[in-house]
Amino acid sequence: MKSIKDQTYYEILEVSPTATAKEILRAYEHAKETFHADSMAVYSLFSEEEVEEIQKAIEEAFRVLMDEALRRSYDQSHFQTVGGPPTEKSSEPPGGSKEKKTSLSFTGLSFNIEDGPYSGKTLRRVRERMGIELQTISKETKINIKILESIEEEVFEKLPTLVYLKGFLKSYARSLGLDPQKVIEEYIHSMEESKKE
Amino acid sequence: MWVFAKCKACLPQAGTKLVAYIRGIGVGQTQTSNRKMIWTIGGGKGGSGKSFITANIGICLAKLGDRVVLVDADLGGANLHTFLGISPPAFSLSDFIKKRVPHLREVLIPTAVPNLQLLTGAQDLLNAADSKNVQKKKLIRSIQSLDSHTILVDLGAGNSLSVLDFFLMSDGGILVVTPEPTSIENTYRFLKSAFYRRLRQSVSSSSVKDLIDSAMDRKNEMGIQNPHDLIKAVKRVDEGDAQRMIDETKIFHPNLILNQVRSKKDIEIGFSIRSACLKYFGIHLHYLGYVVYDQEVNNSIRRRRPLVLENPRSRAAQCVMEIASKLANSH
Repeated sequence: MKSIKDQTYYEILEVSPTATAKEILRAYEHAKETFHADSMAVYSLFSEEEVEEIQKAIEEAFRVLMDEALRRSYDQSHFQTVGGPPTEKSSEPPGGSKEKKTSLSFTGLSFNIEDGPYSGKTLRRVRERMGIELQTISKETKINIKILESIEEEVFEKLPTLVYLKGFLKSYARSLGLDPQKVIEEYIHSMEESKKE
Repeated sequence: MWVFAKCKACLPQAGTKLVAYIRGIGVGQTQTSNRKMIWTIGGGKGGSGKSFITANIGICLAKLGDRVVLVDADLGGANLHTFLGISPPAFSLSDFIKKRVPHLREVLIPTAVPNLQLLTGAQDLLNAADSKNVQKKKLIRSIQSLDSHTILVDLGAGNSLSVLDFFLMSDGGILVVTPEPTSIENTYRFLKSAFYRRLRQSVSSSSVKDLIDSAMDRKNEMGIQNPHDLIKAVKRVDEGDAQRMIDETKIFHPNLILNQVRSKKDIEIGFSIRSACLKYFGIHLHYLGYVVYDQEVNNSIRRRRPLVLENPRSRAAQCVMEIASKLANSH
């Protein structure tokens, strides 16, 4: 058990030391939502001062971990001191039998920022909530930004044929950490409905 | 509306089989293992849906082939039988406590669901609660020794020592919370009491026990504000006990069910509670699932017919089935 002051930036944001920028962004969103002053989840458990302290720690952790150079430097200095990065395994309790009995992961829902149905607007909202620029998606997926814009703005007449569109949607969904199959099905369904109208 | 679609869409395989089984369309019984599991369902606040969830999960597990006993340990407000559509039974825990029957199994009541039995609560226990510790321990031992695969214990509201000890007797305590500040506040109070009681049971030094008792009051003179402060204070008194408390923290994994959720934001509160518990207590709370707000729940309660039997296709029933399948797979 560690106080917030003793936690690593990774522990503060509840991410693994190998977390990607996208995972850190999501964790930051979640942490901000959890520890804002009016959050029901902190009500009655933490004092105002404790919440403020956690908020500051979250901001600082996010600032450092999202900057490649700062993160590298933090990892070097911190893990040199404590003898290596913390792992998921090391935070687990010893003697797994009791743990196994009661460890029930959440079922039926992955912590997606948005669950659909996926349309262009939904995809844009997901992306914006994650703080990711369309340019970044374009760079990562090698999809022309004009096509991505058309996907988000639902300018269906400017979209490529179905076979290519499916491929683009798949890459786009993956880059946001969404279920590609679900995105493809729902986007195309919404496109077809629109065309009918 | 999305939340309901999500709830259905994400039913895992086991949940789907369970739905099929309950509807009688040909999925065979799936016997898990012979290891007994005890789940205690609590959470501090009355009206959060503990009895509804206990009764309906119990039915789902029985339908899966588990031998299930439901224990109504709501001392003073026992009405689990009503959720099962049973009239107030002639036998209750009271008959066992008052030694009118020698063994707890003799007050087990069969239900209309095969494999499912009920132990109804007793008003008498309320008065006996904290004063007759020996009696309470005997009752807990007797419940634990019942011949059954799964025992679900429905606890009453409040933080009395009896409720806490029943909660802590299980392999997995389940907290049922609704996404409202009052419910969450009571649940935290309950969790804190249960957590500190468990820590207290793990230590040997009487001065450390006193320290834990004092820490329950946030205005304590030692300035102990949270479990982290407490462990620091205990370290100064007894290093061994401090280590035992840390070890206990690592293996204390209560579960959470969010009931009556109406939106995605509500569902996310479960994840936020999990994070808050990790920061405050240092414990890993498991978010087991959620049950959507559904008028069908009220309808089924009014008809005194369990939802998963009355309307298994309803959104809330599907959520319950999903949670039950998770519990079944934990054997």
